[in-house]
Amino acid sequence: MIQVENVTKKYGQRLAVDRLNFAVNRGEILGFLGPNGAGKSTTMNIITGYLSATEGSVKLDGHDILEEPQAVKKQIGYMPELPPLYVDMTVRDYLSFVCDIKGVPRSRRKDSMERSMEMLKISDVRGRLIKNLSKGYKQRVGIAQALMGTPPVLILDEPTIGLDPQQIIETRNLIRDLGREHTIILSSHILPEVQAVCSRVLIINRGKIVASDTPENLSRGMTADNRLSIRVAGAEAEALAVARRVPNVLKAESVGSREHGTVDLVVEARKDQDVRRDVFTAFAKADLPLLQMKSMDLTLEEIFLNLITEEKEVS
Amino acid sequence: MLAVFRRELRAYFASPIGFVFVGFFILIAGVFFAISNLLSGNPTFTGVLSSLTFIFLFLVPILTMRLISEETRQKTDQLLITSPLSITGIVVGKYLAAVGVFVITLLITVLFPVIMSFFALLGLGWWEILGGYIGFLLMGCAFISVGLFFSSLTDNQLIAAMETFAALLLIWILDFVAQSVPSDPVSGLVFLALLGVGLVALVFFSTRNTAAAFVSFVLAAAVVVLLFVFSRSFFTGLIAKILSWFSLVKRYSDFGMGILSLSPIVYYISFSGAFVFLTIRMIEKRRWV
Repeated sequence: MIQVENVTKKYGQRLAVDRLNFAVNRGEILGFLGPNGAGKSTTMNIITGYLSATEGSVKLDGHDILEEPQAVKKQIGYMPELPPLYVDMTVRDYLSFVCDIKGVPRSRRKDSMERSMEMLKISDVRGRLIKNLSKGYKQRVGIAQALMGTPPVLILDEPTIGLDPQQIIETRNLIRDLGREHTIILSSHILPEVQAVCSRVLIINRGKIVASDTPENLSRGMTADNRLSIRVAGAEAEALAVARRVPNVLKAESVGSREHGTVDLVVEARKDQDVRRDVFTAFAKADLPLLQMKSMDLTLEEIFLNLITEEKEVS
Repeated sequence: MLAVFRRELRAYFASPIGFVFVGFFILIAGVFFAISNLLSGNPTFTGVLSSLTFIFLFLVPILTMRLISEETRQKTDQLLITSPLSITGIVVGKYLAAVGVFVITLLITVLFPVIMSFFALLGLGWWEILGGYIGFLLMGCAFISVGLFFSSLTDNQLIAAMETFAALLLIWILDFVAQSVPSDPVSGLVFLALLGVGLVALVFFSTRNTAAAFVSFVLAAAVVVLLFVFSRSFFTGLIAKILSWFSLVKRYSDFGMGILSLSPIVYYISFSGAFVFLTIRMIEKRRWV
């Protein structure tokens, strides 16, 4: 549905976005993940037509944003990093103004406003001036604004920033719900959020895509399946000795004791060697019961850091 | 465009700015009206309008300072520009809102000639007054377009207001300056050459293209040299001529006497159009930084 081809953005001599290529399919929730200043907001600003790319093109259903801006912009609801609110207006007037400029037909206007105020739980502040609202409310009015006229594409730049934990959970659920009817691109530097909401993740660092996959595949692809975490009932020295005798085990380390009379170990085996059976039998023979054994998945956090540090080493 | 116009007009009166503009304008107009018409028993109202022109210097910057700068600062321009509205529609809507506040003010001042008509024995020259108002409105529109332009250059209202004030002041004193600048051909040549250099610099800094700057330099130099060789009289009094292109105030004098002539009307409308157009270009250019 959205085609981003070779998009480059230079601010003077500084390269903010470097030959970005990706596509977003209908109904997908795509997450942009990256540290601050990685080029997430710039990319979003280019997709929505706020900024123009130095090179490359953005197409929505085959229509170029620069050639047919009116047609394309009608299809997009955008919530920038800072919600674009007129603080001297009431929530109701503001949303009605947004309907005006987006050309939402009068017949659908009331319905659209009521529905999005309902969804974002801002119905109770509709008559208040935006400048008197708390940050969380402002943020939600910003999201409501993007929903006006139910555009097929939603682009949300850090939608949960400034919300309290309860609201963050609600907003994530809302985005998931919206994902059934809309194609969504959202950005975040909070990893669990992307993991919880998105069907696909683009990791961006210094204007470049460093990884693109589903959150599950990303963590699987980098899973250290040669590392096991085990909990053994017994003494530390004894357990370590047993673990080190298992064939193909390179390293065994104690990570302390969490339960009385047990010890937790991390066992690292040779790559592509499944040592789980051997570990089990070894400890059984030594009469040290295994209470727990699991392979250690990397969290997105670790993947993210890995990717970014790897890249630094390459460059 | 209509949506932006309505929002902007409401914003003027949701903040003190609209009231300050209307109130202050009517206060000063009332003082002038009382002194020159009521107390002295003078029946020509257009004189009040003529002497009111200085008020634009102070009130137009207040009227226009936040038009675009505030959108940039609050980042609400992201909403407008990513909406299906065209930039032309946004800018024209905003411009017309500022003009709208001005029109509302002028409509209120119509009360003054109405008051006079109660006392006029021979009737008032209503056509003369209408002519004066048309000219006054158009001149105001031209001043407002300058303010609109400067508001698009910065995200700080105060700076926009000060720049507008400085520009309007410059326009204001242009006529005095034009009277005393040298009028011999050589100074005309120097002035034109400086203008040419300025133009080339503008081309260079807006395109960062040495070739384009060089071509425009050669073109400008050729035009200046050819003109000087073949039509020396062109340079006589040239500085004053060029300065008078920007003289908004002098062109009002006809209206002040009740003469409705076409050329100042066309002048004011194209002057406003040029600055609105420049504003649109400024905002379009921002996307390419």
